[in-house]
Amino acid sequence: MTDPNVIVWLHNLNALVGGLFLLVSFGIVGTRQVQGCLRLFVALSVLLALSAFLLSALYRDWHLGVIGVVDIGTKAIVIPWVLRRALRGEVFTRREVTQALNIPTALLIAMVLAIAAYFVAKPLLAVGCELAAGVNLPIGLAGLLIGGLTAALRREAVPLFLGLLAMENSAFFAGIGIAPEMPLIAEVAIAFDVLILVFVVGVLTRTVHEHIGTTEVGELTALREEPRR
Amino acid sequence: MRERILFNLLQVATVMVFAPLVSGVISRLKEIIQSKRGPSIFQPYRDLWKLFHKDEVISEQSSWIFRFTPYLAFVTPIFVTLLIPVLTTYPLFFAFMGDMLGGGFVLSLGGFFATLAAVDTANPYGPVGASRTRMVAFLAEPVFMIVFFTVSFVAGSTIPYIVQQRWVTPLANFFEPSHVLLMLAFVMLILAETGRIPVDNPTGHFELAMIDESKSLEYSGPGLALMKWGGSMKMFVLLCIFLNVLVTPWGLAHEQTLAAVVLAIPLVLLKIFCFVLLLVVIESSLSKLRLFRIAEFLGAAFITSVAAMISQLFAS
Amino acid sequence: MSLILVPLIPLAAVLISLVPLGKRFAPAVTLVAGIATFVLALRESLRVVSDHQVSAIAGWVELDGMGATLLLLNAFVGATAALYSWGYIGAHGYEARRVRSYYAHFNLFVFSLVLVPVLAQPAFVWIAIEFTSLFSVLLVAFDNTHAALEAAWKYIALMFAGAAIALLGFFILFWAQQGAGGGHYSWGGLRAIAQQMPTVLVMAAFLLVMVGLGVKVGFVPMHTWLPDAHSQAPSPVCALLSGVKTTNSLYVILRMGSLLPLATVQPWMEVVGLISVAVASFLLLQVRDYKRLFAFSTVEHMGIIFVAVGLGAPGGGYGAMLQMVSHSLTKSFCFFAAGAALLVVGTREIASVRGLIRTSPVAGAALLFGALAIGGAPPFAVFLSEFFIFRAGVAQQHYFVTALLVIFIIVAFFGILLHVNRMVFGRPAENPAPARAHAVLPRTCVLTLILAAIPVLVLGVYQPRWLHALLTLAASNLNPLAPP
Repeated sequence: MTDPNVIVWLHNLNALVGGLFLLVSFGIVGTRQVQGCLRLFVALSVLLALSAFLLSALYRDWHLGVIGVVDIGTKAIVIPWVLRRALRGEVFTRREVTQALNIPTALLIAMVLAIAAYFVAKPLLAVGCELAAGVNLPIGLAGLLIGGLTAALRREAVPLFLGLLAMENSAFFAGIGIAPEMPLIAEVAIAFDVLILVFVVGVLTRTVHEHIGTTEVGELTALREEPRR
Repeated sequence: MRERILFNLLQVATVMVFAPLVSGVISRLKEIIQSKRGPSIFQPYRDLWKLFHKDEVISEQSSWIFRFTPYLAFVTPIFVTLLIPVLTTYPLFFAFMGDMLGGGFVLSLGGFFATLAAVDTANPYGPVGASRTRMVAFLAEPVFMIVFFTVSFVAGSTIPYIVQQRWVTPLANFFEPSHVLLMLAFVMLILAETGRIPVDNPTGHFELAMIDESKSLEYSGPGLALMKWGGSMKMFVLLCIFLNVLVTPWGLAHEQTLAAVVLAIPLVLLKIFCFVLLLVVIESSLSKLRLFRIAEFLGAAFITSVAAMISQLFAS
Repeated sequence: MSLILVPLIPLAAVLISLVPLGKRFAPAVTLVAGIATFVLALRESLRVVSDHQVSAIAGWVELDGMGATLLLLNAFVGATAALYSWGYIGAHGYEARRVRSYYAHFNLFVFSLVLVPVLAQPAFVWIAIEFTSLFSVLLVAFDNTHAALEAAWKYIALMFAGAAIALLGFFILFWAQQGAGGGHYSWGGLRAIAQQMPTVLVMAAFLLVMVGLGVKVGFVPMHTWLPDAHSQAPSPVCALLSGVKTTNSLYVILRMGSLLPLATVQPWMEVVGLISVAVASFLLLQVRDYKRLFAFSTVEHMGIIFVAVGLGAPGGGYGAMLQMVSHSLTKSFCFFAAGAALLVVGTREIASVRGLIRTSPVAGAALLFGALAIGGAPPFAVFLSEFFIFRAGVAQQHYFVTALLVIFIIVAFFGILLHVNRMVFGRPAENPAPARAHAVLPRTCVLTLILAAIPVLVLGVYQPRWLHALLTLAASNLNPLAPP
């Protein structure tokens, strides 16, 4: 299937998935609802899997297809399930009423980060030689930075943690574009590692909820050097 | 040459004649979704007929702006129809008078005067609604700009006729990320500019919550008829820009014959009705946003348009 | 083949220690596993000294000089911490289920620590480093107090953010290697092809890994979680965290650094290292909690090691490895001493502790010994390694950097001694803390203190030949590429 027309189609579809990936990353920074954040994260993972499938067709490499399947399995299905089991249901009905920075400002900063990622990725792309890396690397890098912004700005436990998971998703998104021949077992192991992480964090958040009574972990700032009040 | 003039007139006539029909269809569909019967789709025509035959009552405190605005609100959408592709894929002879940015400016001229007129009366609800309309407008401006810039960056021009060709051939270009994201941003923009839910409730009667409706609060008789007609024409024009330039640039007349152009009319109406269906579903499933959340909504639209531009940078 | 056994022993111990066979069973199993791991690790390290490399599965499970040093440290501190835990956890009187859970997590943690130097494929090393963070989170939160939970949450959040950044770095490294012509994606394979890989890509990968894993090492300004986590955890866990876990992450960063030419990487290493040393030594002065004091000292020493590698071959690499060894041994001892003091006094605040030498001579002497050792006083091991680093700095003519390093180390020494001096000597406060039942320390704790003190003292004056050979080998693995 070296038909150039098909390659153009796959390229464009992959670029579209990348654009939507970027948009959903912005959405995770800007959503108030905890429930909305979780849904957006599932969408992000599905987009990652879609890109993996498209790239596996583009590179003719079935490994990437397996990664896509594993990714949907762990991130789109198991992780939300684990989170819902570990935390009480009412955590998910919360909204963040007050935030570290208001939403439009956070979105603007995210936009600046995305543009910065583009400029950082440019010299790297000039040297490297993969087919689809032109889309995946900058968007993955942008998603990484935006996920970090989410983790820095959010106060509720679940969106903060979803921001971190989004960072990892973005790193993976860049990875499937630039390193498709990475041994399959490494990438599958990474996916399962994330699963263990979610489990641990679920337990921790539940413990925090039980002992401290709130999941606004951004408010926990007692440990510092200044004299105690 | 004579045909060209005819096609131009036909274009304007289409917009003038079918704009109230679109409003009627929207109202009827919304009622149907709510399991009611709803008014006839030709009701707006009857309303316009009735209003033109009534007397006009104008406050003594108002100035020439109040009297002048209905005509402006009626004429500015017509100006814009001369610039955009409504029925044909080839440019008609006013097409190069202004590009999409010019069209945007002309539309906002009408909006500006409508706001001034609302302030012109001594009614307290007028300025309240006017200030809110201005807020929505200035928040929507950056989105408009970025959408137009991205479109011109992609297509190499800001003339709608030229832009339209870019996304038809080859078909794979339809799925470019910049295209899809621009469509999303533009839908959010249409919702804001025409005063639909989730930005504003077009059927509300509660003056304290009105944003867009407040511009026609004080008008009566022919003035009100012109304002209403102008409002529905503005919506029709925006839909034409959206559908004929960005989304489905198909179904427009390719040949320069009268038959092809007349055939294009029902096709364009069909496209508009399909979109209206989507619009009604969106309106019925969302709730109106609180006023300060409108900034977040338009911020999301802005970010979508910027993401479109960024994707275009990445892909090139 | 026996190399594979090394991480498998703690893994087996996890399962065995969950068996409810009485109060002494879990600690005993852990201790036996710790000693067995150490013995095996020692054997493998001696084989590396003679053969220069040991490999069980070529390209996946290998051990070279640098890895062997790290493995030895991990195993030693794991064994001493296991011995210390016996008395420490026993003294707290937790219920049996909690104790078993502690030991299971402890063994998991040791398993993950031992896994890091043994693996040779960078993606798997990333996974192992992630495991070291994951399996220690619930240990940090073990006390279930407000402060401990806050520390654990900050810890996991920052850790995972750093790990995601480092993951991208490893992907870019793979990309660079593919572009240069392929070869096996392992530390050895990468080093072999290092000259051909495009520098901009490897540099990008190095920076991403430095920032991402730098969070785990504690480089400033990503160090904010470190004082919290390293002070709230139970003391044997603190010893593992400060002593070897940060060193493991630094090991990975240094592996990345060894793929680049010295000139490219040197300014980064020196600047980042110096900033960490400076900020840590000044923050040391105003701590209010003696475990946080030692945690800041960890940040400082990580900075010193990074600067040492930046100084370049040959003295820099050797000094860095020696510093790693002396730091791990000394820091674990310090935390054992701090734990003893905590058992005796019951509070972590420096201001509440006075005249410790009178209340409990063992704890007081140990704390003073540890403070002097970690500050860099002769004749302890840290002094010798720091001296090596200064000598390397002067030999390479980096006078400014060396001078700054000396100044900051002196500031830190002053800070540590200031606080510890007041704690150990000093008049007892007006209303002394209530006499704890553990004014007499558990025997295993005392035994551990003695055992851990021996290498700290011995390595300050004498270096076994095999250790010298191992460290030289490690330095050759570690140094950035010489200019062509």
